[in-house]
Amino acid sequence: MLDKNMPEVAITINGKELIGRTGQTILELAAENGIDIPNLCHDPRLVPTGSCRLCLVDVAGRKGPVTACTSKIEPGMVVQTETDEIRAIRKTILELLFYEHRGVCTTCNENGDCTFQQYAYEYQISDEVFTKAETSEPKPNYTTGNEAIEYDLDKCIRCGRCIRICEEVQMDSALTFKERAAGVEVTTAFDIPLNESTCELCGQCISTCPTGALYERYAKGKGQCKDLRRTRTTCPYCGVGCQIDLNVNPKTNDIIRVTSSVGCIPNDGNLCVKGRFGIEFVGHEKRLTTPLIKRNGTFETATWDQATNFIAERLAKIKEQNGPNSIAGLSSAKCTNEENYIFQKFFRAVIGTNNVDHCARLCHASTVAGLARAFGSGAMTNSIDELKNAACIFIIGSNTSEAHPVIALNIKEAIVKNGTRLIVADPRRIDLVRFAELHLAQKPGTDVALINAMMNVIINENILDTDFVKERTDCFEELAEALKDFTPEKAEQITTVPAEKIRQAARIYASASTSSIVYSMGITQHTTGTDNVLSLANLSMLTGNVGKESTGVNPLRGQNNVQGACDLGALPNVYPGYQSVEDSKIRAKFEKAWSKKLSPNKGLTVVEIFHAVETGDIKAIYIMGENPALSDPNLNRTRKALEMVDFLVVQDIFLSETAEYADVVLPSACFAEKNGTFTNTERRVQRIRTAVPPPGEARNDWETICDLSTKLGYKMSYDSTGQIMDEIASLTPIYGGISFERIDSVGLQWPCPDKDHPGTKYLHKGRFTRGKGKFHAVSFKPPAESPGKKFPFVLTTGRQLYQFHTGTMTRKSAAINQISPTGYVEIHLEDAGKLGIADGDNVEVSTIRGKVSTLAKVTKNIEKGWLFMPFHFHEGPANMLTIDALDPLAKIPEYKACAATIKKS
Amino acid sequence: MAKKKVKSLHDIEKLHQKLLSSRQNLKARVLICMTGCRALGAQDVCTEFRKQLKRLSLDKRVAVVETGCIGMCARAPVLLIEPHEYLYGGVTPEDVEEIISTTIQDAKPLNRLAVKQDGKPVVKIGDIDFYKRQDRKVLENCGRIDPGSIENAIECGGYVNVIRALTEKQPQQIIDEVTSSGLRGRGGAGFPTGVKWSFARKSPGDEKYLICNADEGDPGAFMDRALLEGDPHRVIEGMIIAAYAIGAGSGFIYVRAEYPIAVEHINIALEQARTFGLLGENIAGTGFNFDIEIRMGAGAFVCGEETALIASLEGKRGMPITRPPFPAESGYKGKPTNINNVETFANVSVILKDGAKNYSKVGTEKSKGTKIFALAGKVNNTGLVEVPMGTTLREIIFDIGGGIPGGRKFKAAQMGGPSGGCIPAAYLDTEIDYDSVQQIGAIMGSGGLIVMDENTCMVDVAKYFLEFVQSESCGKCTPCRVGTKKMLAILEKISRGDAKIEDLDLLERLGRDIKKASLCGLGQTAPNPVLSTLRHFREEYEEHIVLKTCRAAVCDGLVRAPCQHACPAGVNVPEYLALAAEGSLTEAANIIRRRNPFVSVCGRVCDHPCEHRCRRSEIDQPLAIRALKRYIADYMDDFDTPIARPTRGQAEVAIVGSGPAGLSCAYFLALMQRPSVIFEAQPIPGGMLSLGIPEFRLPKDVLNKEIGFILSHGVQLKTEERIDNAIDLLKDGFKAVFVATGGQRGKSIDIEGINLNGVIDALEFLRDRALGKGMDCSGKRIVVLGGGNAAVDVARSAVRLGAKEVTILYRRTRNEMPAYEEEIDGALEEDVKLVTLGIPKRIIGRGQTVCAVEFLKAELGEADIDGRRRPVPIEGSETKIQCDIVIPAIGQIASTESLNVSGGPELTKWGTVKVDPVELKTTVDSIFSGGDCVTGPASVIGAIAAGQKAAVSIDKMLGGNGNLPQDVGFSFTKPDEETLAQSPLRPEERNIPLEERKRGFAEVVLGLDRPLALAEAGRCLRCDLEK
Repeated sequence: MLDKNMPEVAITINGKELIGRTGQTILELAAENGIDIPNLCHDPRLVPTGSCRLCLVDVAGRKGPVTACTSKIEPGMVVQTETDEIRAIRKTILELLFYEHRGVCTTCNENGDCTFQQYAYEYQISDEVFTKAETSEPKPNYTTGNEAIEYDLDKCIRCGRCIRICEEVQMDSALTFKERAAGVEVTTAFDIPLNESTCELCGQCISTCPTGALYERYAKGKGQCKDLRRTRTTCPYCGVGCQIDLNVNPKTNDIIRVTSSVGCIPNDGNLCVKGRFGIEFVGHEKRLTTPLIKRNGTFETATWDQATNFIAERLAKIKEQNGPNSIAGLSSAKCTNEENYIFQKFFRAVIGTNNVDHCARLCHASTVAGLARAFGSGAMTNSIDELKNAACIFIIGSNTSEAHPVIALNIKEAIVKNGTRLIVADPRRIDLVRFAELHLAQKPGTDVALINAMMNVIINENILDTDFVKERTDCFEELAEALKDFTPEKAEQITTVPAEKIRQAARIYASASTSSIVYSMGITQHTTGTDNVLSLANLSMLTGNVGKESTGVNPLRGQNNVQGACDLGALPNVYPGYQSVEDSKIRAKFEKAWSKKLSPNKGLTVVEIFHAVETGDIKAIYIMGENPALSDPNLNRTRKALEMVDFLVVQDIFLSETAEYADVVLPSACFAEKNGTFTNTERRVQRIRTAVPPPGEARNDWETICDLSTKLGYKMSYDSTGQIMDEIASLTPIYGGISFERIDSVGLQWPCPDKDHPGTKYLHKGRFTRGKGKFHAVSFKPPAESPGKKFPFVLTTGRQLYQFHTGTMTRKSAAINQISPTGYVEIHLEDAGKLGIADGDNVEVSTIRGKVSTLAKVTKNIEKGWLFMPFHFHEGPANMLTIDALDPLAKIPEYKACAATIKKS
Repeated sequence: MAKKKVKSLHDIEKLHQKLLSSRQNLKARVLICMTGCRALGAQDVCTEFRKQLKRLSLDKRVAVVETGCIGMCARAPVLLIEPHEYLYGGVTPEDVEEIISTTIQDAKPLNRLAVKQDGKPVVKIGDIDFYKRQDRKVLENCGRIDPGSIENAIECGGYVNVIRALTEKQPQQIIDEVTSSGLRGRGGAGFPTGVKWSFARKSPGDEKYLICNADEGDPGAFMDRALLEGDPHRVIEGMIIAAYAIGAGSGFIYVRAEYPIAVEHINIALEQARTFGLLGENIAGTGFNFDIEIRMGAGAFVCGEETALIASLEGKRGMPITRPPFPAESGYKGKPTNINNVETFANVSVILKDGAKNYSKVGTEKSKGTKIFALAGKVNNTGLVEVPMGTTLREIIFDIGGGIPGGRKFKAAQMGGPSGGCIPAAYLDTEIDYDSVQQIGAIMGSGGLIVMDENTCMVDVAKYFLEFVQSESCGKCTPCRVGTKKMLAILEKISRGDAKIEDLDLLERLGRDIKKASLCGLGQTAPNPVLSTLRHFREEYEEHIVLKTCRAAVCDGLVRAPCQHACPAGVNVPEYLALAAEGSLTEAANIIRRRNPFVSVCGRVCDHPCEHRCRRSEIDQPLAIRALKRYIADYMDDFDTPIARPTRGQAEVAIVGSGPAGLSCAYFLALMQRPSVIFEAQPIPGGMLSLGIPEFRLPKDVLNKEIGFILSHGVQLKTEERIDNAIDLLKDGFKAVFVATGGQRGKSIDIEGINLNGVIDALEFLRDRALGKGMDCSGKRIVVLGGGNAAVDVARSAVRLGAKEVTILYRRTRNEMPAYEEEIDGALEEDVKLVTLGIPKRIIGRGQTVCAVEFLKAELGEADIDGRRRPVPIEGSETKIQCDIVIPAIGQIASTESLNVSGGPELTKWGTVKVDPVELKTTVDSIFSGGDCVTGPASVIGAIAAGQKAAVSIDKMLGGNGNLPQDVGFSFTKPDEETLAQSPLRPEERNIPLEERKRGFAEVVLGLDRPLALAEAGRCLRCDLEK
């Protein structure tokens, strides 16, 4: 890899003097200078192996030809890449590969994008030279029956790229070669079916395959690469914001496959299972195609006019009868920035209430609250790319490799290739523990105790950054005082983490040159969520690990646009750009811009809205692209509220569990069908683009809202989403410099106050947003509910790799459903033994709030006394069990800990 | 012996002395190989020895030592008795009592268990050729010590020099010494060991590793195994020194799991060395720490490649990686690592013992010391052979190896295993070292030396080795993975007879590109066996492709039965033998006659290539096919009835010459119903059969009867009708002409006195005799010059014609004489004198008449192209033989007069007729030619085959289908195993009494009688039915 700090080296290639850097290979330098050396086994993401032998070049003074991909440049080297001899050898090699590669281009999906095909053409390879190997009946291989990936041995040229990318980039090591010599083929270890191996179905193997031997099974026969139209857009799943290319067959308007380009930001061509195989929902037959109005308990199709007129009428009436604050809106972390902006504008300017919130409430409300208090700004402080160069990474409450798989790749790369030290604090033995130097399995809900004890060690052992503390922070004395007695031994009693491990963790974190904290729902979804976040902020400031590259406090956002939805004011207390609704100066600005008098009072948050239905304060709820009937805690209560509320409108792409309760359902276009922007977890505003038309009469959410607004007497009309972004930029200082033109190829990270600002890689450089960073002395508080006799287990919930959120999208994918067909509960081997529960048994899990039936997954990756359930599944929904106790500040519910019991059913 | 730790140099020296002196108390030591010989009952012999010695209360004074390989593996189980140095082979427990009483108690040899050399027992190991010519330095202790006893090793000096070096020398001094010794890596590439060590030493890093590569994988090579099994401490010694020199703290021995005894012995040796303080922390108090771990490889050949070996050690799939970086910079776990093979480490101990200077006295300029070869294949003494670098292949194969079994011809030796190449006979006298071997297209490799004889097909050999490397390719890089597979596919096509001649170019191109483009040594050398056989034996490849024949009768796709395939005329030997065994002689003869009309003739004078290829010779001796053919001819009921309807009408084909080729051609044309006429210049038909071969080998009446049989098929014969211009025959209306005029004149020899009276050409001599105008030899002294059949025939005829003294003077030795072995024997019995290694210088005359031949004595020099050693005259060694008549018999000249006309076909530079090898067409349309005038002097059966081929071609040209009568499907009798196992030995044909022989021209050989013949025919294995 090119390291700009290495000394220059001058060499000659084909008579041309070129300057490279020490450590560069001939192939890299040649490519940099537009000299094309053919290669098949090379991928810039991988360590070169020189196995295909196609990149052989002649180097003066060397005995025979050498592989350009493995040979480092040396001063004075004279290289010839196209001598007759070299070309003759390459031709032989291609002929041999052609003999081995028994595929036929005419029926191959890769036709048109196949490197091997290009070389075969360039070198005019004929299959006459070596008669074709006998084709035999295709024999079963490790992908037989797999819905995601198909391996076609007849097309495989044994370059090993799939194996290497699985090992070197994905670090999953699911693949290997078997047999020897001409019998070599790719398979899993012990030749087991792919889904039984360690494979994560990321499909990276497909992405690197140069011949089409590996392919998405779904795509087979649906269109050849040469005919496909590619649209660059942003992945609709987690907050990483991977740039993906939707490959569409223009004849059928089907999305055939999802690819990504090496070198793109932020994912460098890497994707996870959801991004690669989870897009089937777009063209799914169950998509909503027409508005529906519920009459006598059943939905009837309606025209847009009928539906919007009906809604406008009802809303106007409710507002008239009960006041604007009797109406609440749930915006969507899945919708674009533009749509979130329009939605909150509609509620504030048209309905006249601040009762607008969205699911960020359920994930990172405590982050926003906590970090705003400590730093003045509630977002990921640093960038994804910086993780690679951190000397230490401290992951707490984030199952990164399952919830943010592509960020996990950066972390793994840091550990394996750059020697970064990894500390994982997580009650479960998550996959990243494999890479960790230290695993602290704290009891759920005891994070404050753990972090306090670490800070106690840091202060006591005087390994804090005193200069930083002195110059950049306030309130250190209070913190120090509060921590005085919080020894690791004391923490051990609370957290069950051995004191010595806490000390080690503190020392590693504090002494590394750059330490970066990565956290997620494990920290935030607690009644003490804000406290947890404050503690992490404390830890980072104490050691000076914030405001610098490769450091920081980095909350990983869970939804594709949860950052953007927050940024654009889909929150009850702030306008776009975190501008307080209670600040009269700011309110005046918006009143002026929107030509409407605005409410000076904060609105209700998500869970509060549902609770307010019970009290009769809320009469109507308008939900755009959310599914609280599955995602919200204590579902019995939530569902009751949905049933109770007078008027419910749901705008979505499928008839979700929530939509079932609605009075009116409006069909929406999904991400692949519209233009706009998403803001990813590292504050990067990125484009999404229309790849296919929406099904039936489905419309862009913003158009629906504008239409409704107009019908309610407030004309909203935009020519395009770009125009909406321009309005956003004019009102939102952190988005001030953002426009569609600027982010056309690479997104920009906010704050980006003006048109010339390059965006902000990391926050708080030199100065915190709030001026000085503020320490908060936080004391430990136990979770709202503790296990007891009747409910002896602690139940925690979370995500798993394959499914996303309430499964509305992922559960439309055959590939994903095959590997993750249904819900389950994880239970420790010993607990299971005591209860007579075996792996795969039907069990019933219950809390005081409800019970669900599911399957048992017996494991040692969880501590004794603990249960874990993913919340994606409508059958056996985990949120039937979760508690709706809230963090007092952030109003986030405590999904991560409640008392439960389990029995065999 | 107390297992006290060795704490200093003094300790080990003392221990060595003590152990050495304790040996004085022994009366004898019985060394029994318990490695290779274990499988053949060595353990029982050992137990019996212990039992008997105890019974005789000799167990305290006679040590029974279980050793490694002693050598002479073909004679297993082998044992050696010290101090007598008697070597016994094939020992059973029943022999033990006699060995003890005869040898141990009475110090006398037991000849019946001794190795036989030229039929005589040789009991002392030092007198056995196999050992006498070796220089066993590295193998010194192999077979002399108990590998399970470190005391045995120390007694022989083990560890003493190592500890001395650790105590007295700096690492750099050791590297310098190894460098100056000239030791090169014995693993194959021959990289200077000292230089390699210094790379590892200079490479920065505190943690370094040493690896002993014991992943010996070349087929047939087992020197590493023998060393590890027989003398593991020597390898450990080498490793300790190497580790000290490069600064390594830990080492590995990476050994094949298929070597369980080696693994067992290394484990014992490592444990003992640790117990003695000679391995591990603070070795012998020197402060140097080094320990060795044993790792077993799963048997992937590629793991012998050092980077693949390291990957395997690291627990990864054994695949090589591109170098640089070399292991010396970044090897095991990315640390500097030095790898040497077993034999290299074992050599280090020799250097320590003898000193670099003495070490480097052995060997050639650039290759020092000795090399162990694993001698295998078609050689009498297989086994490990240690010789100084620079020893010739001839010394190794013939002097030490005892030559080729069954007296067959040496063809080539495969050196360096599958990565090596074939060395043909022409290089038998090349001094073998790293560089010379490379020059002739092979590599030293680990020292595998597989001997191949004339029954080895070079295409098959190439295929065998390529199959091996192909299946052992790790599959990482394209050229090796696919290229070798493709090369193999081409070879398979060739061996099936399905290839095109252009495939040879493709093979060469592929081979060249694979060598250049492959990632590791395996691929870079994989094509070597193919390329080297192509280089030296291209004509064999071409024969497979063009003629569809495999001269060694090996290639399955071409060969039905080797005997049939070896027969130029393609006679279905197995079936006629089977019919003969049942007594159906006429039916048997008719099978022969479908391909060869000369049953009687070939039963007497054929050079029987069929017998040379007979598979039965792998078990005991080849079938006596020729004798059986004669038996059939002599005793069949119905000799004279034609096997096809005689042809009638105008002859379409003219045949010039009535030798075996011409007669056969006419015969086969007749079988295809094409009438022909034969023109013969001589008064009698038969060509060489009647005019060249004397009656005592082929009686006139026998021949005439056979010619009569041919003519009875409607063939016209015109004698005394010389054709001066064969082309004119076409003008006369013949549609095709077959010229088979043979070679009627002898080659002249250009020496002084050749024109004197009394010098007569051999052919003329024989022809005159046949025509009844023979020379009177009574009382004459005759010298025959030459060594072929003609020379011997002349000599034996002269004896019968009353010569007083007959001498054959030949340039080389009897071994190189082309004449049939039994003819030479016959001549010697008849008192013909044989003077070999004599090069005629001049014929001395008294006046115009011969009175003597003067010759120079000669000795054999280097091999010529076919591997026969050239006679080199010795200056001043002139010797005379007094004589009256000199008969040069040194070859024949092709008779092409009838074609040497304007508009005639092209001739070759040797003066023979140029023809297409398959169709025997000359360069003139409708003119065909075959037999000696095309091939030069050759065999009768070759001429018959030529007649057959020409007949087929002519028939096709004239619109026929060229089909000869079907000759397959007459007998499917499978011999039962039991009968085969109990078969008697091959019978000898009886001769008439010697006195009778000398008195006249009566046929010498009597042939087989019925019981012998039937039994012999029943020995046939029916290889043809195996498919």
